[in-house]
Amino acid sequence: MKKLDKRLFRMIKNTKGQYFAVLSIIITGIFVFTAVSNSALNLKDSLNDYYKKTNFADIFVSAMGLPEKIESSLIGQADIKEAEARLVFDTSFITEEDDEKVNVRVVSINKNENKINKLFIKSGKRELTEKDIIIIEQFALARNIHVGEQIKIQINGKQYKFNVSGIASSSEYAYIMENEQTLLPDPENFGIVYIEDNYLRQIYGSKGNYNEILIKINNENNLVQTKDFLEDALDKYGVKRVIKKDEQLSHSMLSQEIEGLEMMSQSVPYVFLIFAGIMLSSMLSRIVKKDRTSIGILKALGYQSSEIISHYLKYAASVGIVGGLLGSIIGSALSGAMTNYYLVFFNIPTLTIKVYYNRIVVSVILSCIFCIISGYWGVKGITKINPSESMKPESPKKGKRIFIENIKFVWNNVTFSWKMVLRSIFREKKKFAFIGAAVAITCGMMIMTIWMIDVMDAMFNRQYTEFMKMQYNISFSGFQNENIKKEVAKYINPKDMEGRIELPFEIENGRNSKIVNIIGLDKNTEFYGFQDMKGNSLKVPEDGILISSNLANNLHAKVGDEVLIKNFIPNKDDRYVKVRGIIKQSLGINGYMNIDYLNDKLLDREIINGIYLNSDDDVQEKLKDIKNISSIQSQADMRGAFEEFTTITAISMGFMVMFSGLLGFVIVYSMTLMSINERTLEFSSLRVMGFSKKEIFYMLIRENMIMSFIGIIIGIPLGLWLVDYMGKSFTTDVYTMNEPVRTNSIVVSIILTIVFLSLAQFMTYAKIHKLDFMQALKNRIS
Amino acid sequence: MSETILKVENLSKNYKMGEVTVKALDNASFEVSKGEFIVILGPSGSGKSTLLNIMGGMDTPSSGNVYFNNELLTTMNDKGLTQYRRNKIGFVFQFYNLMASLTARENVELATEICEESIDIEDVIESVGLKDRIDHFPSQMSGGEQQRVAIARAVAKNPQILLCDEPTGALDFETGISILKVLKDVNIKYKNTIVVITHNSPIAQMADKVIKMRSGKIIEIIENKNPIEPERIEW
Repeated sequence: MKKLDKRLFRMIKNTKGQYFAVLSIIITGIFVFTAVSNSALNLKDSLNDYYKKTNFADIFVSAMGLPEKIESSLIGQADIKEAEARLVFDTSFITEEDDEKVNVRVVSINKNENKINKLFIKSGKRELTEKDIIIIEQFALARNIHVGEQIKIQINGKQYKFNVSGIASSSEYAYIMENEQTLLPDPENFGIVYIEDNYLRQIYGSKGNYNEILIKINNENNLVQTKDFLEDALDKYGVKRVIKKDEQLSHSMLSQEIEGLEMMSQSVPYVFLIFAGIMLSSMLSRIVKKDRTSIGILKALGYQSSEIISHYLKYAASVGIVGGLLGSIIGSALSGAMTNYYLVFFNIPTLTIKVYYNRIVVSVILSCIFCIISGYWGVKGITKINPSESMKPESPKKGKRIFIENIKFVWNNVTFSWKMVLRSIFREKKKFAFIGAAVAITCGMMIMTIWMIDVMDAMFNRQYTEFMKMQYNISFSGFQNENIKKEVAKYINPKDMEGRIELPFEIENGRNSKIVNIIGLDKNTEFYGFQDMKGNSLKVPEDGILISSNLANNLHAKVGDEVLIKNFIPNKDDRYVKVRGIIKQSLGINGYMNIDYLNDKLLDREIINGIYLNSDDDVQEKLKDIKNISSIQSQADMRGAFEEFTTITAISMGFMVMFSGLLGFVIVYSMTLMSINERTLEFSSLRVMGFSKKEIFYMLIRENMIMSFIGIIIGIPLGLWLVDYMGKSFTTDVYTMNEPVRTNSIVVSIILTIVFLSLAQFMTYAKIHKLDFMQALKNRIS
Repeated sequence: MSETILKVENLSKNYKMGEVTVKALDNASFEVSKGEFIVILGPSGSGKSTLLNIMGGMDTPSSGNVYFNNELLTTMNDKGLTQYRRNKIGFVFQFYNLMASLTARENVELATEICEESIDIEDVIESVGLKDRIDHFPSQMSGGEQQRVAIARAVAKNPQILLCDEPTGALDFETGISILKVLKDVNIKYKNTIVVITHNSPIAQMADKVIKMRSGKIIEIIENKNPIEPERIEW
């Protein structure tokens, strides 16, 4: 081994504290990049593969009633390659527990093989007879149902017994949400079942009709044209929704997750790498400065500047290679665990966890190049070192007054050690700015992370305590008149009860349109707490519509605009209504109208299709025999599912807190170490004058304290900006993240930042304690 | 007549210090013959280190020329000077300037790794009397031992000229004498030309030629017909 390389290893050994510090940041950056981007890639590849294998639909249409021959009439038109009609409805799953209300979505399928959204059989068989049923895997697992067992389902007011002939996964229900407002899967209480097509239509009493059709087209570029065609062509059948693949609930949740991962993999690692780069550059420039005489000797011995530069760059390259390699290996290993974690929510049977070896190589090369470039920035001064000059002791730095010294009143009242602290900061502005920036980023990231923990909780609480105040949301299988309320009241003792209509309409504002559920409510409803964007309470208006903020954004609509409500019910007219208010809504995307106005304007009759209810009774048990009830959604069940979800997210957020803290810790630790190494002579002189080790340590603490204070002050608005950015990036049709950051969260973030910084600071005390100040005064070995 | 290895011709070096120009070296001229042991003598600030640095290709003059084996050094670019230092010159400094993280042997190897015709390291280390300390780090050695390593490092490259800047300046009398003896032995054994700069006049007694300097000027060049053994020097 070349002697310079030997020197390199010993140099790494001697600066191991700083070396590992910068290494840990590189490892973290590369690790986050590899773990997150590999997970995204695993999910994306597996999902695409799954869609391909199961022939995932391009367009999903739901309508009031579609005739049996509808498929053949559509194929060949508007680029439609395949079409498959089906009957879909939600109903009760009969359980042995009396107080349990479980819903299933029943889907009709061909007895042998369906063409679109094929099932992925996990156990049992695909072929169906009349008495057979196939159950979706998530539901079967949650309820411990096995092939060969019997289950009961309520269809059209009657209980039917089926043999479980198969357990399957479906690409359409990789993520199962009952509707847009449930946010989280609750597989124990909601599942999907598949029954043979002819038999189901017969017992459901749909007169042989379907209510959904799946479409596959030849060329995905024609998606919008085909969608428009279907809206017109199926208008007479009472089209309710025409949904493109990217708007399909399960797919859109998965896509959002993948996009979120991709966004994270393209932002967080760079923060770490940039800081690592600055740190590496700063470390090397200081090592070069300290090695000035050695560099002079090497030049005197005949070494070229380029040879000496490459000697120091090997230090940087070693950080890059080791960091890149370890980071990508740990990241690849953990990406498996991370991808598996998604299986808690997403059912993708074709999910394969791959190790992307080419990514490891690319990560190592990139991290190496990145470190070499950063390192070069730090060592380029080597070319300027003159060998004869370098042998002489370096002339002392120019001492000049700092601007605070001109403010005599302040300066004269500052103690000696504080004067040294202030001068030190102002003379090494770059170094202290770097520490300040690291603290700011740490604090900002902490605020963002704590907010993310809070926001899920706040969104849920806001939605289900402040916004929707009902204990139960009961849906009927068809339209009912108000008398059904009386019937319900016979079984239970309601504290409050209101009828409601919830129906899909297309809302159009100029060129923008969106199909959403509009909910018709009692004008004095007790079950909703509407607030405008400023937090002022709003009542259900006599006329017009209230729209959620994400819908307003989609439509580019503002208060006072007239929007067109397009009616899917056959023979009913489209109507213009005025936007009376834009409201805060955390989950889902909706419009709200006075039920009388909605009936009058769009339906022409006094009807409801659901009720909101508060009652202390066991509602799910007592109402289970009412035949028109299709589902009962209870807030308590939703809360249970949410609490399970928050436990899992808390773990990943804990990692984020650790990563954020690590950044501040490592930078403060290594920059303080550098400071101690460089100022040994200065500290030795102070020791000679009678300063204790503690007093010197306090001096260092004060320097960092000022910069940490400034960093935290800058970190707060930075955190708020990150929160705003994240809120906007993550706001979708499903959830709106516009929760403000609570003061408590900021305080917790600041405390966490201070904890990490203090930890770094105390670790440097050991270094100060070990330093032989007296030796430093007499030592002159280069 | 012995062969000239180095020729210094009207060499001057000026430094700007604020508004004042300091003449560190003023029109110096002399010749160095192959195998000679030369002492450049002068008080602090007389310009001897500046002269040594220019002779060693570590600094450039303001005017004048330096020829090494009839090759003009003063017009060489940085690459040329690096090659010159690498293969023709060996340096010994007052404060040894060893690499703290390398052992004695490794410090020597650091120099031999890059030169064209190095000498056997074991032999050189034995010549400077450090056989038993070969695997020690500088911090584990006395000043005299460190200086011996520095000499071994310079000699092992098999340089044509060994330039020594106050090699005994940081050492006590006895250690200083032992170092001078090592230099003389090296001069005899390896036939290197040795140039020692010092402010310590008794050392001049061991030189073949003494160049006296004051205020950047050469004031006298003395040919010493009877150089004495280092052991007989006293100060």
